[in-house]
Order: sequence, then structure tokens, then C-alpha cells
Amino acid sequence: MEKILEVLFSGASIGAIYALIALGFVLIFKSTGILNFAQGELCMIGAFICYQFATLLNIPYILSFLIAIALGALLGSLIDLLFFRRLVGEPIYSTIMVTVGLGSILTCFSGLIWGHDVYALRSPFMNKTVSAGGMIFSQASLYTIGISILLFALFILFFNRSLLGVALKGTAEDSDTAGLMGINVKKMHMIIWAIGSTVAVVAGVFLAEQSFVQTSMSHTGIKAMSAAILGGMESLPGAIIGGFIVGIVESFAANYLSGLEMAGFHFGDIKDVVAFAIMIIVLMIRPHGIFGKEEVKRV
Amino acid sequence: MLKITNLETTYKDIILALKGISLEVPPAKIVTLLGANGAGKTTTINTVSGIRKTLDLTLEDGTIEFEGEIINEKEPYDVVARGILQVPEGRKVFAELTVDENIIIGSYTLTDRNKFSEGKNSVSGYFPVLKERGKQLAGYLSGGEQQMLVIARALMAEPKLIMMDEPSLGLAPLLVKEIFGIISRINSQEDVAILLVEQNANVALSIAHHGYILETGRIVMEGPSEVLREDRDIREFYLGLTEVGTKKSYREVKHYKRRKRWLS
Ligand SMILES: Nc1ncnc2c1ncn2[C@@H]1O[C@H](COP(=O)(O)OP(=O)(O)O)[C@@H](O)[C@H]1O
Ligand SMILES: [Mg+2]
Repeated sequence: MEKILEVLFSGASIGAIYALIALGFVLIFKSTGILNFAQGELCMIGAFICYQFATLLNIPYILSFLIAIALGALLGSLIDLLFFRRLVGEPIYSTIMVTVGLGSILTCFSGLIWGHDVYALRSPFMNKTVSAGGMIFSQASLYTIGISILLFALFILFFNRSLLGVALKGTAEDSDTAGLMGINVKKMHMIIWAIGSTVAVVAGVFLAEQSFVQTSMSHTGIKAMSAAILGGMESLPGAIIGGFIVGIVESFAANYLSGLEMAGFHFGDIKDVVAFAIMIIVLMIRPHGIFGKEEVKRV
Repeated sequence: MLKITNLETTYKDIILALKGISLEVPPAKIVTLLGANGAGKTTTINTVSGIRKTLDLTLEDGTIEFEGEIINEKEPYDVVARGILQVPEGRKVFAELTVDENIIIGSYTLTDRNKFSEGKNSVSGYFPVLKERGKQLAGYLSGGEQQMLVIARALMAEPKLIMMDEPSLGLAPLLVKEIFGIISRINSQEDVAILLVEQNANVALSIAHHGYILETGRIVMEGPSEVLREDRDIREFYLGLTEVGTKKSYREVKHYKRRKRWLS
């Protein structure tokens, strides 16, 4: 029983990271129609920026984290300004390739600046654990889950209660009509890119807490995308729940299936396949994802 | 207040949709722009609103003046900031948002946020049903309620001019009468000018002060509503449409169906 809870917990802490990245995915897609394949790279950049300040420059962790967030928002806005502002409404295959290209450019630059090795983020939670009821939890995981849930709650409040949040939702649904309401649609898209990039940066810092800083962190992006699609691609709660599902299932697979042998076959690193397997199964049954809905019918 | 002079616009740089139209909306008056399907009514108000890029609509010639200032090339949000609100064709509620959230978006340009509840109360006065439906998704409202919602949404911005695109479209005659009664009340009580785009000439002329008749991108007639209402030529003009009527096409059938509504 304790083992199960521990596995669940570590799954949730990775799931929170997927959920954050997936949230950015869904926000950008829903608002601008662009599938941002560079979400994982933004996550990786976030980890490197925090590493740069916290580990290399010895700046206090919290401050480094805040700098990473600010730079992440700036980077997202810049990406919109330079590339995607012009590409709204263009064919999805074009925009996807631009995001893929952007992702590999970001990886290339990170490699040039920081190198391709594996680094450790200096953080107050490093290698610390908490034990409760005979179970052991890493502090980094607790911290990740706690702050993520807080962020999700803030997001939901923001999008349902604030004028800007409601305006962003309206713009996502129908940008022409939003323009007719006096909303500056370009500004809204820039804000969405800033938010989408920031959540990826936060996810990157959390991921670095739990493991290391390295360019291959960007592979998290594709799993987060499967979480977003699982959740329905159009739904914020869907992205969050999708993220947790993928993280938790992965954690169980890693603990109970990895290295298993069955009829002479090795399951090996099954953990990395599980996210895609559940995505495929869910999409076969529900092509719009778990929370995806057909459009609300207009009377 | 709004003065359009020799406005010429094209779609995709080749389709000439407006061939030099001029019209004027004085403060606090209702002016109706009448015309059959495809005449260029929606094009006219979209050009004023500045939503062109997504439609591939270009203003080729002429001027749009609002309160003495030329606003030809303004972005949509800038046009709204000046007090010109559009109630688009086909209602266009934010279907995935609640009725209240639609109302909130309407108030987006209100800089004095204290005026929000004042505005909301006044809007609920005109459309009590919207208050009852506040928490429902706008996509699930009936057609009439959606029409009320988009008018209410525009009112929240404290507009000086509202451009309404076919508010009667697809609604039962009784409901049309009710909504047009409210539009008339809004005009007199809120001191707001209204440019009312319609195919339904009878009901539009019943509340408008002045009317223009648009035919394939040209203004072919204008005058005070009383005059237009009495003018038998107008009725024949709309019933006639003989050149169009001789072409056997899908569009023409649609025209015919719509035409019947003129005198209903
Ligand atoms: N997006 C568009 N692209 C090309 N042509 C258009 C577009 N929208 C309208 N038109 C054409 O412009 C003309 C005027 O259309 P519109 O302004 O919608 O008429 P109305 O609102 O009076 O029914 C029509 O001939 C129509 O086919
Ligand atoms: Mg029209």
C-alpha cells in the first residue's frame, strides 16, 4: 500500500509538469490555432535559465526562478512578435513546421551556450526528503505538486473571474467578434504566448529539481502534447487532468512493468511508451479526447 | 456623426463590392440601410469596423468620418474605442462563454469599471431574460435571446453609434416586433445613434428616421422613412428584382424566399 502511494505521488509530480506544459499547448492552440511543437524546448530553456542564475551565478534560488519566469514570458512574447503574429490563420502544416524549426534552433542555441552535458540545478530542495506514515517523499516532488496546484487554481480564477481572462477566452473562441468588442486581438495573442511560454518555463524548473538540466529535457514536450490531446486539446481542465493521467500511468508502468519479461519479451523502458499507448487507445474511442467536445450548437 | 463618402471597397483586390457609396448617420438617430442579399450591407459596416484582414477586404477609395475625424485605416479595437460598436450578422455570441461573460466582454473598453454594474442594470432593464439566463452558456440560448444578448453586449460599451446587421434575420415576426421596439427605446433613452442594416424593409422603416437603399454596391434611393414607407416604387423595387428573377440559380431562389419577407 505504501509503495502504491509513493508511486502515485511520484507520478503526480511528473504529471504536474506535463500538465503545465500541456496547459501552454492548449492555450496557444485554442487562441491562435497554432500547435506549438516548441513547448518542450521552452521547458528546457526555462531550466537552463534558472540553472544559469542559481548554479552558475550563485543567485538565490527564488530570485533565479523569478528571473526565469520573466525571461520566459519575454521569450514567448518575442516568438509571437517575430514569427506567429504573421502566421495566424495560415495552414496548420506551415505553422507546425515553423514551431518544429524554432524548437531545434532553441536546442541548438542552448547547446552552444550551456553545452550538451548533464547539469544539476542548485535548489533548496535538492536530495531532501520528507517521511510520513512510513513513506518517503522527495521535497522537490511535494514542492512541484503544491505550487502547480496553486497555479492551476489561479489560472482557473483568472480565466473565469478577471476581465482580461474572459477577454482572452472570447478571443480564443472568435477573434473577429472579439475585435468588434474593442479587444486588441494581437495583444491577446501575445499575452497567450507569454503565458504559454511561462508555464513551460515553470515546468522546466520543476523538472530540473526532480532530475537534471540537459538539452534532452525537451522530449517532455511531446509527452505533454499527448496529455493535452488526451484531455481534449480545447479544454484547460482537460490538459491538467490529461497531464496527471499520463504522469501517474507512466509512474506505475515504470515501477511495475519495466524490466518485466513476458514470454521471452523484454518490456525494457516501457515507461516512455505508455503515454503514447494510452493516447492512442483513448483517441480510438474518443477522437476528441476525454474532455473534448463537439462545438456548442448554435441555435 | 458618421459620414461615409464615396466609399469603394474590394474583396481579394478584384471583387468590387461597394462602388462609391455615401451615407450619413446623425447623432441619436436611427438610419436604416436596406438592400437584398449580397447588396453590400455587411461589407459597408465591416469596412467601418475595420475588420478587413481576415475577409481580404480593401478600402480602395472614399472616406469614413466619425465625429469629424477620418477613421479609414483604424484597427477594429480602435474603432470601438471611439464609440462605434457593431452587432454582427448571425448574432455571433461567444457560444462557449456564459451570458454574463458575454456581457463582461461587451464592457471591455469601459475604462471606468464602476460603470459596469450601472450598465448591466440598464441592460437587464431592456432584456430581463438575460438576467435570468446569466449563468447559462450563450450557445444554448434561443435565437431571439442571442439577438438580445448581442445588442446588450454592444450597449455595455456605452457606444455612441451601434451598427446592427440584420437583427431580424431568422426570427419569428412577433419576436422581431418586440426586439425592434426595444431598439427604438434604446435609441431614444440612451441617446445612441443606430445604423440599422436590414432586408426587412417594413419593420426597419417602422422605427428608422431615415433610410438608404443599397443595390449591388450602389445607393439607389434615400429619404426620410415616412417618404420611403409611402413610396410604392420602393415596394415594387423590392418585389420586382426582375433581372435577378430571370436567372435560374440557387442564389436567385434564396432571393425569392427572402423577398417575401419584405412585406410580411
Ligand atoms: N469574404 C468575401 N469574399 C469575397 N466576396 C465577398 C465576401 N463577402 C461578401 N462578398 C461579396 O460581396 C458582395 C456583398 O456582400 P455582403 O456585404 O455580405 O452583402 P449583404 O450583407 O448585403 O448581404 C456580395 O456579392 C458577396 O458575394
Ligand atoms: Mg449581410
